[in-house]
Amino acid sequence: MDLIYVKKLIKLLSESAVDEIEIEEEGKKIRVVKHGNTVLAGAPMLGQVPMMVQPPAGPVASIASPAMHAAQAEVPPTPPDTSKYHEIKSPIVGTFYRSPAPDAAPFVQIGTSIAPGTVLCIVEAMKLMNEIESDVTGKIVKVMVENGQPVEYDQTLFLVEAA
Amino acid sequence: MFKKILIANRGEIALRVIRVCKQFGIKTVAVYSQADRDSLHVRFADEAVCIGPPPSKESYLKIPRIIAAAEITNADAIHPGYGFLAENASFAEICTSSGMKFIGPTPEMIRTMGDKALAKDTMKKAGVPVVPGSEGVVKSVGDAMEVGKAIGFPVIIKAVAGGGGRGMRVVREESEMEIAFKTAQHEAEQGFSNPDVYIEKYIESPRHVEIQVFGDQHGNVVHFGERDCSVQRRHQKLIEESPSPVVDEDLRTRMGDAAIKGCTAVNYENAGTIEFLVDKNKNFYFMEMNTRIQVEHPVTEQVTGHDLIKLQLRVAAGEKLPKRKIQPRGHAIECRINAEDPANGFRPSPGKITDFHMPGGFGVRVDTHAYAGYVVPPYYDSLIAKLVAYALTREGAIQKMAGALEEFTIEGIKTTVPFHLQVMHDERFRTANFDTSFLDTFEFRPESEHDARA
Repeated sequence: MDLIYVKKLIKLLSESAVDEIEIEEEGKKIRVVKHGNTVLAGAPMLGQVPMMVQPPAGPVASIASPAMHAAQAEVPPTPPDTSKYHEIKSPIVGTFYRSPAPDAAPFVQIGTSIAPGTVLCIVEAMKLMNEIESDVTGKIVKVMVENGQPVEYDQTLFLVEAA
Repeated sequence: MFKKILIANRGEIALRVIRVCKQFGIKTVAVYSQADRDSLHVRFADEAVCIGPPPSKESYLKIPRIIAAAEITNADAIHPGYGFLAENASFAEICTSSGMKFIGPTPEMIRTMGDKALAKDTMKKAGVPVVPGSEGVVKSVGDAMEVGKAIGFPVIIKAVAGGGGRGMRVVREESEMEIAFKTAQHEAEQGFSNPDVYIEKYIESPRHVEIQVFGDQHGNVVHFGERDCSVQRRHQKLIEESPSPVVDEDLRTRMGDAAIKGCTAVNYENAGTIEFLVDKNKNFYFMEMNTRIQVEHPVTEQVTGHDLIKLQLRVAAGEKLPKRKIQPRGHAIECRINAEDPANGFRPSPGKITDFHMPGGFGVRVDTHAYAGYVVPPYYDSLIAKLVAYALTREGAIQKMAGALEEFTIEGIKTTVPFHLQVMHDERFRTANFDTSFLDTFEFRPESEHDARA
């Protein structure tokens, strides 16, 4: 299952009247759900205005990983509703780690209270361990990526219920 | 051969590299800014990694993000394309130390040729003709007089820290020197806070003729003939052709030999271009060297029958350059189609392309990343397509190009298609009677019937 396939599914869904599609093959499962009428009809993601691109509010795929490797981890079946939570995104490209060291406890868990400056995770790039800090006060609701998973720029790492 | 290549670039050149990788069965990784999410290079690469927001310095110039993208996708080589980080020696160095092959020359070669003074010195020592000039800064009027007489008038006084045509004064005879020298120093002080000037021979009505060179990792250096890139606007190339109408077999041999000498002296590896100025008397002088593949490489490909990007990959993988002699045949012209409005000072015209139809047929090639519905972003250069026409004669190529330009339909934005069409019909261009000052006196006529369709 790769990103291009996932992107095609999202496109397919956004262009059709279908609200939900679930595919299972070779032990991997993906479910894509459309949330209301949040996809702009016919407009490409950028529209005609050269502004910062917002992540699509429409169909959300439940695979979080944008980078492709042959063996993907188990895909969580519930599509996350990102609209009411604050998303913490990766400011860099690299590999996501939940703990400061392989056998140490994770920085945060679901339910952990955080404040601006709280270290949430590490994204490793070029042998440097970059600590990613929270920019809000709140509680971790969901961890969006798996430990050891590659992440790209602006990829959502955590969902936070902001205080 | 490499298993997976990351292309550290965007637009048409990224797509070009992806196409060559497919021929080898090499997997490709595209990197993209948020503005390029719908770009063709992202769509056709095997994998894609977002590396930042739209501005180049936050994305395509962000070395750590690009290296990280190569790491997480396990790419074993990086192709830098042209522009961006292609001539960034640090980037080449970091690629290597991160375990990825940089498809291009070594960091030392990039550094040497990137320093204009050092490059000139290196070439001079290798026996390549350079623009005669003062050895460094000229301090006084007296010295300037001496230098002027030694080089031979006309000369040009240039600011060491200068650029953009400022801090330059042409001196045609001794009597003009004193005033010119003092004025140039003053202008340099005002413009760049540095009054230092140097003096070079002033090449009248030069043509810009460059030689495509290639070196492999086994010490072999070859050249693929020349390209004439004299049609420029503000030092930006707009039309290129091969062979050059002013280069005969003798000049080609002399320039080619000089280029090979220069490259051999630095043990050059992979693709490069040596740019020369050619004066009215067919004297040629080294201007600078570009240590990368260039935008206009297709015209050389058309007349030599060699895929230069493919060769880049081969050389980077350790293969030897082809032994068989390179025989140019026919004539190729390239028009750079930019998203600019020629009727309004060539101002950028980004936006959505609503309709897109490319010309085609025998001897017509289009390298583009544009398509109907594509939104040309405002953050990067305005090149959206390269239109290349190839025929057995120059006249044939011009005719073919004119027909192709008439057919090329790009709607929703303004492009330089109508401008190129007018150049193809220009008497000076058709008779090859032009130099780098051609566009200074060329007037684009916005009310032509071809424009009505745009």
